[in-house]
Amino acid sequence: MRAVVAIALNTFREAIRDRILYLILAFAIGLIALARFVSLLTVGSEVKIIKDLGLSAISIFGLLATTFVGVSLLFKEIERRTVLTMLAQPVRRWQFVAGKYAGLLLVLGSLVSVTGLALLAAVALKGESPVSLVPAILMIMVELALIAAFAVLFSAFTNPILAAVGTVATYVAGHLSWSFDLLEKRVDSASGKLLCRALHVVLPNLDRLDVKAAAVHGVPLAPGYLPLATAYGLGYASVVVVLACVVFERREFV
Amino acid sequence: MRRLAPILALLFACTCTWGARAGLVRMDSARKGEKELLYLPNGKYLKAISLGHAPLVADLIYLWAIQYYSDYERADRYRYVEHVFGDVVAELDPRYLDPYWLGALILTVEAHELDRGLKLLDEGFANNPQQWILPYLAGWECDHAGQYERAVGYFERAAAVPGAPAALLRLEAGMTARSGDLRGALKRWQAVLDNPRGDEEARAIAQRQIRGLTVQADLAQLTAAIEAFARREGHRPRSLHDLVSAGLVPELPLDPDGNPYAYDPATGEVSSPASRVLGS
Repeated sequence: MRAVVAIALNTFREAIRDRILYLILAFAIGLIALARFVSLLTVGSEVKIIKDLGLSAISIFGLLATTFVGVSLLFKEIERRTVLTMLAQPVRRWQFVAGKYAGLLLVLGSLVSVTGLALLAAVALKGESPVSLVPAILMIMVELALIAAFAVLFSAFTNPILAAVGTVATYVAGHLSWSFDLLEKRVDSASGKLLCRALHVVLPNLDRLDVKAAAVHGVPLAPGYLPLATAYGLGYASVVVVLACVVFERREFV
Repeated sequence: MRRLAPILALLFACTCTWGARAGLVRMDSARKGEKELLYLPNGKYLKAISLGHAPLVADLIYLWAIQYYSDYERADRYRYVEHVFGDVVAELDPRYLDPYWLGALILTVEAHELDRGLKLLDEGFANNPQQWILPYLAGWECDHAGQYERAVGYFERAAAVPGAPAALLRLEAGMTARSGDLRGALKRWQAVLDNPRGDEEARAIAQRQIRGLTVQADLAQLTAAIEAFARREGHRPRSLHDLVSAGLVPELPLDPDGNPYAYDPATGEVSSPASRVLGS
């Protein structure tokens, strides 16, 4: 456990030295600040625009940070051969992957916290209670944790460009997984139906983690929805991280 | 010359860019009035490609629509209002209330298309049955159009929403009176009077309205009976009791103060001191 924590903290320190992260952070906060001005163009509720734009900014820039930082997490270590130095220490390969993933979560957690606080402040400045947005921000973090797991998995066996494509594709597929359900009803062949069913079940359903609209409109969620959705997201992420560990265990560094 | 070269290059680039921009602006203004809204896809499809950011896309299209509908020179301004506010924005974010009422306002106030405006508000209420504000607004639109019976229906739906303001019952009753259904209005004002959620002010208003409407309803009933008597007998009744004898009214009503209504056989007019007190 100590090794995982040490690698996580080291990954975090390394990541926050990266300028791209600050650029992403600046853009996210800039967009939230801009939302206050954009909202002046509307007729009706200005704060709704601020909330929507703010939550989407946190989500989209979080995805960018996940992709930029996550996809090169393991690949960089392998390319620079630093992984060999690391694994020469009493550190198991799975601990290395888990540490890297935990470090990435720390980075994303910091990013979401800072941008989330900026959004809460922007809403509070408009005279409205921002409390209802907190579950949405937490669920964005769960969604990013799931996407980060895929970024680490792709980073374990391919180069950053392909890993970035895979990560973004997972995000897109995760938000379109409902379409396989729809397709299943339209397809005639039994094998086609089975494939659609399998894809619908296996692909992460990111819409289940999306409570932005409910948070913005102040609609109460069903009792137990948040813990269940969190368990689904984090459970899925754990499976993907275990897969990443298995892939990394089997890799040969020559 | 060497120092001048970059400046000249910069000036050339700026001129080209400015020229191209001016050309594009000219093309834009020439295109104005074309049916560009035809190309705005339905919200269902936009929702699919918004990847979890449908409310943001709804906001952006709503903001764009506000700018679009602020341009009064467009020839086909009112043609696709329901498409923009209903099929697109409402599909993307069904709980977003502003587009329903703004779209309805454009249709009813500017385009004078009450039914289309009401359809949009109906869609909003179907998607948000807890929002009494939408049928409330629809009620006022009907009132402005002089369609009081439809207005009553909308205020009735608004008042039936749990948590709706008690004042909606008063609007419902007031609108029923405006529609000419005085007996119906009396029943509704009685409901306002009996409403346990109503305050003292509401009860006082209800009492005044019941008093006034009772006189109006009685006078209308008696006047109609006098006219029927005159048509049947060829002359006006000598007293109001003739109406009872002729079977035109079951019994003579008393005004809210308990006094009989006054009748002038020479003019055929019925009156009550109670109505004069009310000034009606």
